[in-house]
Amino acid sequence: MSKVLPLIQRSIREALRTPEALLPTLFIPLFFLVVNVGQAARIFPSNSTPFLAGQSYAAFQLPSSLLLAASFGTAALYLVEDIEGGYFDKLRAAPVPRTAIIFGRLAAEALKSAAIAVAMLLIAALPFGISIASGPLGFVLLILLTASWAVVFSGFMQLIALKTRSAAATNSAGLIFFPLLFLTPSFVPRPLLTRPMEIAATFNPVTYIMEALRSLVLHDLDWAAIGRGFAVVAAAGAVMVLLSVRSIRRYD
Amino acid sequence: MLTTLMTLTSGSARVAGVEVTKDPDAARNKIGVALQEAGLDPRQTGRELVILQGRLFGMPQEEAAARAIELLELVDLVDDADRRIKGYSGGMRRRLDLASALVHEPEVLFLDEPTTGLDPASRLTVWDELRRINERGTTIFLTTQYLEEADQLCDRIAIIDGGLIVAEGTPSELKADLRQRRGLTREPTLDEVFLEATGRTRERVAGEVQEVQA
Repeated sequence: MSKVLPLIQRSIREALRTPEALLPTLFIPLFFLVVNVGQAARIFPSNSTPFLAGQSYAAFQLPSSLLLAASFGTAALYLVEDIEGGYFDKLRAAPVPRTAIIFGRLAAEALKSAAIAVAMLLIAALPFGISIASGPLGFVLLILLTASWAVVFSGFMQLIALKTRSAAATNSAGLIFFPLLFLTPSFVPRPLLTRPMEIAATFNPVTYIMEALRSLVLHDLDWAAIGRGFAVVAAAGAVMVLLSVRSIRRYD
Repeated sequence: MLTTLMTLTSGSARVAGVEVTKDPDAARNKIGVALQEAGLDPRQTGRELVILQGRLFGMPQEEAAARAIELLELVDLVDDADRRIKGYSGGMRRRLDLASALVHEPEVLFLDEPTTGLDPASRLTVWDELRRINERGTTIFLTTQYLEEADQLCDRIAIIDGGLIVAEGTPSELKADLRQRRGLTREPTLDEVFLEATGRTRERVAGEVQEVQA
């Protein structure tokens, strides 16, 4: 832990010193929220749409934007810069557990994502009148789950960075999130999807994270949905960390 | 391989008495590494970088901060310690890289072409730093293509060609050996020792087209 902490601090300094990389992470997901709500809100009025649980369509769409923001992590691109600039070798030549090198960036990514999620909730809540139906505990869980997803996705991106050592390849790999996001019940609940889409969404792990986030926004604490969401991030996170550590150990 | 950055494909390697494959962290604690490309993080300041390096070698924050001041003084970067590294010149980067490699007082310092790309003044400054570090008791393992540099700085030289050591000794031994074998009336240079040891001629080297792979 004593060696992870300075690496976390370094990653946070790095993020704070490149605000130009942080701002799109906040504003592009908000842009998508505004556009999606603008296009579909009149189809789903809150007073006659049961799945909105009395809230606006923006509340239903908010989890998609939170997940999108959490998937814009820059950890892997900074890792490629470290590799290309030689600093990564400097880290590898230090007596630092390989897990610390991975966790240093991922922990910083979690904190950054949590801060962005709070900012998004505050910014989105005011104009759209969104409230977190699950209360303060739900709010905390919402942030925690979003940050956990950021760790999973950053772990995946770091894995690509370690394997390819290429900024272009790492950047392109990040685009995989878009099919993952759109093969979910992002516009309507799962039972309202067409059968092929419902099957695809059922097999897509992101669906369960989105449904957990959505339950926290629209309903009281639904532990079954929340549990599924956290179980998915825990399983995916474990796989990503395991593969990343293996990759860094075999790195020559 | 000695720096633990590459996996051994066969055989074994020991550095400062430690088997690098068996206990890489023990080897890492005994060595400092400054690679050809100064491995620095351009978004940090010089001070932050050296402190971080100290903490990665297990120092508490206060001790790492004190050590950073000491090292930044050694490499004459105190005035620029709180500037971001991205604004440093090539020579400053090289000196900072040296400072960060020395943070844990390594027994052996590996330097890979430490003066490549530097102007003559910066090169002489780095040479002075290396002499000072060596005088303080650190063994320096220097890789260089500039044989004049090896002649100036090294007590012992090994010439490697095609992955094999083809000549080894002190600079004066190597030169005296060539002078004797060739019956030269003047002292040869290390460049001539190199050409002779590797079986090359200046004409052949000039005519060779080599593919370099990273």
